[in-house]
Amino acid sequence: MKKYLYIYKTKLMTDLQYTFDLLLGFVGYIIHIFIFLNLWQYIYSNPKELINGYSMSQMIWYVIITEILWTCLSGRAFSKDVSNDVKSGNIAYNINKPYNYVEYALFNHLGGATIRFILLTIIGLTIGFVFLNGFPPLGILQILAVLLSSFLATIISIFLIMSLSLISFFIEDASPFYWIYSKFILVVGTIFPIEFFPEVIKPFIKFSPIYAVSYGPAKLFVDFNMTDFISIMISQVAYLIISFIICHLIYKKGVKKLNVNGG
Amino acid sequence: MSVIKVKNLSKTFKVKLKEKGLKGSLKSLVKPKYKIIKAVKDISFEVEKGEMIAFIGPNGAGKSTSIKMMTGILFPDKGSIDILGLDPSKDRKKLAYEIGCVFGQKEQLWTHLTPYDNFKFFGAIYDIPNSIVEKKIKELNELFELDEFINTPVRNLSLGQRIRCEIVASLIHEPKVLFLDEPTIGLDPVVKENIRSLIKRMNKEYKTTVVLTSHDVGDIEKLCKRVIIVNKGQIVLDDTMENLKYHYLNKKIVEAKMNKEVNLDDEEGITILKDKGYNLKIEVDTKKKSVSDAIKLLNPDNIVDINITNIPLEDIISDIYKDGDE
Repeated sequence: MKKYLYIYKTKLMTDLQYTFDLLLGFVGYIIHIFIFLNLWQYIYSNPKELINGYSMSQMIWYVIITEILWTCLSGRAFSKDVSNDVKSGNIAYNINKPYNYVEYALFNHLGGATIRFILLTIIGLTIGFVFLNGFPPLGILQILAVLLSSFLATIISIFLIMSLSLISFFIEDASPFYWIYSKFILVVGTIFPIEFFPEVIKPFIKFSPIYAVSYGPAKLFVDFNMTDFISIMISQVAYLIISFIICHLIYKKGVKKLNVNGG
Repeated sequence: MSVIKVKNLSKTFKVKLKEKGLKGSLKSLVKPKYKIIKAVKDISFEVEKGEMIAFIGPNGAGKSTSIKMMTGILFPDKGSIDILGLDPSKDRKKLAYEIGCVFGQKEQLWTHLTPYDNFKFFGAIYDIPNSIVEKKIKELNELFELDEFINTPVRNLSLGQRIRCEIVASLIHEPKVLFLDEPTIGLDPVVKENIRSLIKRMNKEYKTTVVLTSHDVGDIEKLCKRVIIVNKGQIVLDDTMENLKYHYLNKKIVEAKMNKEVNLDDEEGITILKDKGYNLKIEVDTKKKSVSDAIKLLNPDNIVDINITNIPLEDIISDIYKDGDE
């Protein structure tokens, strides 16, 4: 474990040199938030009104949080890195190191995600505070619960994206899988809470990873209650185990059939 | 004591075949055809502790595949490998602690960090206590003369400096066997020489067993006492460097500048390599004709200038490569 923490630390060290470049990359995030800020302000004729149980400021906070989680992942770059590692044969040079590639990639990516998470949280909370006049009422313990849930969501996302990218071991191009996943998360997980979907679909979403990686932490932030917290934790722990196993299985199978060409 | 034992090692690859054009692409979609390529065929050899061997061959000969099997990256189809008592395909992680790899064409350092931070990183992933890493870095810093740039980010280093750091990074955990895959590729002659002497010094100091692949004959000649040549997946030669040269030493190259033309056609033991009237280049097989006899044939009175040399090792090796192709 110590060595993985060191990998995390090393990535943190590297990325800290580029904090300013990162900030420029967050322009997209800010634009998204402003779009939804205006959109929801337009839809809610009366800010006190509730739609599907959400007030206007809760809806906007929901998007602020889910967008933080999604943007700090930087999933597309991560998926591309892993796929490229497999396709270019670079993965070979990680295989003969005394660590597991999956864990290496996880902690390496977490290093970068941490910096993005901190910066995005500062930006997101500031925007929310200024335009929505204050934060949702959360105590210290509840904030910790949201952070824990966000942390688990990020790890699950990394495992899921890595699993999709590691399919490159078996097929030429795994990017369509990531594309479908990301659009799915964007439409079903980021913009609208589960409560907005028809009754028929709700159970499916609740049992899908979206509940664990996107809805969970955001829901806890905007409207914390113990029942939700417990069911979100159960879902997250279950998905953590499932995604961990799937990712390792794909990797194990893939490495066995690895062909490293040339050189 | 043998640290590397390779026995009857074989590896085949399945490569997808595609016929020409769009039609071929569609066809391969429905009914893919595969070609079996035998990359390594029944290779066996052993390497003793502290030995530096050259493992060479033309492109596509199977040397990299063999090295990748020895380091646990690829799984062999047949045969066995024993490195320091470990089987690379089963004890990959354990083996990782015992071996080091440098691939001249691949970067394993973090480019945005300094060499020092990189060495610390490698120390950590090999579970070496901090105090020992510091000591090791200091020691290797002196051996490889890194003082000047140990705190400069890797991305700002020259290729020669970077390769030195790559080698040091792979030595932090004191590997017993070091695999060097074209460590001097792309370097200028002075830096090459410098890297070679550093590798030599390291081998002497730590008794590290070195398996070197390179297309640079200089590397092989200066570093290795033994050479294994593979071609088309098979070992075509496994001998000491001295023997290799000795077998070919019975051939000499004579270059002469004459003031009169001579005709040496059909002379036994002499092969004309170049004949431009007054400038002549011949190969003399000393088993059949002595050099002095050859010079007599040229007539010493007519020689303006003469140069007698051994066949360059480069030619010897490419001859062996070609033999394997026939």
